[in-house]
Amino acid sequence: MGDTDAQWPGRLMRPGPLASLLWTGLRRNLAMTGAVIVTVTICLAMLGAGLLLRAQVHTIDGFLLDQIEVVVDLSDGITPAERSALEAEMRRDPLIAGVRYETKKQVYERFRRDFRGSPDVVAGVGPEDLPAALRLTLADPRASRDIAVTYTGLDGVEAVRDQRALLDPLYRFLDAFTVGAFTLAAVQALASFALIYTMIRISAHARRRETAIMKLVGASNATIRAPFVLESAVAGLAGGLLVAGVLVAAKVFLVDGKFARQTMFPLFGWAAVWESAVVVLAAGVLAAAVMASIALRRHLRV
Amino acid sequence: MIVLSSVSKWYPNGARPALIDVSVEIGAGEFVFLVGPSGSGKSTLLRLLLREERATSGQVVVAGRDVARIADRRVPQLRRIVGCVFQDFRLLPNRTVAANVAFALDVVGRPRHVVRSVVPEVLELVGLGEKADRYPDELSGGEQQRVAIARAFVGRPRVLLADEPTGNLDPATSIEIMSLLDAVHRAGTTVIMATHNASLVDAMRRRVLELGDGALIRDEADGRYDQTVPQPLSPSATLPPVVPPPLVMLPPAVPAPRGVPAPTALPARPAGQAPDAERSPWATPTRSGPVG
Ligand SMILES: Nc1ncnc2c1ncn2[C@@H]1O[C@H](COP(=O)(O)OP(=O)(O)O)[C@@H](O)[C@H]1O
Ligand SMILES: [Mg+2]
Repeated sequence: MGDTDAQWPGRLMRPGPLASLLWTGLRRNLAMTGAVIVTVTICLAMLGAGLLLRAQVHTIDGFLLDQIEVVVDLSDGITPAERSALEAEMRRDPLIAGVRYETKKQVYERFRRDFRGSPDVVAGVGPEDLPAALRLTLADPRASRDIAVTYTGLDGVEAVRDQRALLDPLYRFLDAFTVGAFTLAAVQALASFALIYTMIRISAHARRRETAIMKLVGASNATIRAPFVLESAVAGLAGGLLVAGVLVAAKVFLVDGKFARQTMFPLFGWAAVWESAVVVLAAGVLAAAVMASIALRRHLRV
Repeated sequence: MIVLSSVSKWYPNGARPALIDVSVEIGAGEFVFLVGPSGSGKSTLLRLLLREERATSGQVVVAGRDVARIADRRVPQLRRIVGCVFQDFRLLPNRTVAANVAFALDVVGRPRHVVRSVVPEVLELVGLGEKADRYPDELSGGEQQRVAIARAFVGRPRVLLADEPTGNLDPATSIEIMSLLDAVHRAGTTVIMATHNASLVDAMRRRVLELGDGALIRDEADGRYDQTVPQPLSPSATLPPVVPPPLVMLPPAVPAPRGVPAPTALPARPAGQAPDAERSPWATPTRSGPVG
């Protein structure tokens, strides 16, 4: 006597019988499981779209970081002391990654280089006509507006030219869609929870005999809950796989196909697609399992 | 094996206690009949032993453990050493006989080779070796109860509780089930059987505990269903003999040795009237009533 507990620690079911419980449960609950898969898929699709939009914004950021600078034109009357004070201030600014001074002569040469295709333009401008400038590379290309505000009107500053401001509409567009996608994902997550909650209730009712017997013969709580949680996780996995497929298809047919020829910006690469797919799959499975566990607290007293 | 000390049970919103100050000790390997009219607290007492309910006051000790103080996540371990069968069999209708029995081992994580060897053995033991692949609704009531006993016994519990196991069965079938429970007892299991079946109790002459309105009103060593000689409940009567009472040998599937029960002598009780029947998932059994 007394050996019973040692013989049977709180072991879980073997995979075989567990799979058969899961399978009968899924079959019995087919319509409900289908509904859960649909909402979970929509939710994850929104999540995936949001992730890819964000990846696209980052891709553009990375591109602009190399391409675009803020140019601070200096007035001709600036004293060397004023200039070095200005430069020192800029170097302390966390938004600014680098400061490069160009003399009037260097500015003029750059101008001639940039416009070498238009000799008439070059001919009309003399070496003294263009102001000396500080060229700023930014730590965050999206901070250019703040920088323009900070340095405009300071002593010795004639004008701050923000090349990136031209791209504001594009950024606003991408941001709005990213926020929209994540918001819809959250709304759909609520809908998914409501459905999973109902699915668990129906499933707990359909399985009540099995559950009662499991309790009676001493199955652990984890064992009793496992089929329910797995049922929900399977729906999450199905949704995740569908969405991962859609993401790959979107990359192949839209991004690499249609848009690649229409835009001057680089588009996100495969790494972003795989990353989003992994996040979507993990979120689908885990969130569905967690939602099921929460619902079980209400519907399955063990 | 089982010790109840001054156990009382009030159900929430119950008008009166279901058990009042019950103290009793049941030794390992004993066979005990639990008798008393409907509503006297028999099922409640069994539920306390399974920790399906907790005593309102007093202490319930099973296999050395204070049942009320077992942590929730350890309750399953208690239920592995205390098996249980019911009046309404509680089989899974979509599983075969063998699968119903195997289920009890599967869900506690026993390895496959154990399940494969033990299940046919137990089915042989309860006389259903031939019907392993049948479904419950293809069996008679007596056969279904055999499956239920096989399922409760297959994990080798140290205690088997039977709550009116013959309540849905005709007299001849009841005797078969009785003899099966006797065999389980002889295999070393402590058996507590709540019953209304007077002729079985009278034929077996085992220890009888009688409840009346929740109080233990009789504890008799070789008792009958009805108290014949007035026997006050003395302190010594609550201490059972350490050795099991002498065995009454019931050959399987033949009439009882003493006093074949006349059908009229059975306190007929329609199926589905057990107080716990409405609350259970088996409220509408797939097959109910006496089946020959
Ligand atoms: N879950 C419950 N809630 C409230 N009262 C109950 C519950 N179960 C049983 N009772 C009451 O407790 C008393 C004992 O019931 P029970 O133990 O089922 O008796 P028996 O099995 O001897 O017929 C009865 O009065 C019954 O109505
Ligand atoms: Mg009862």
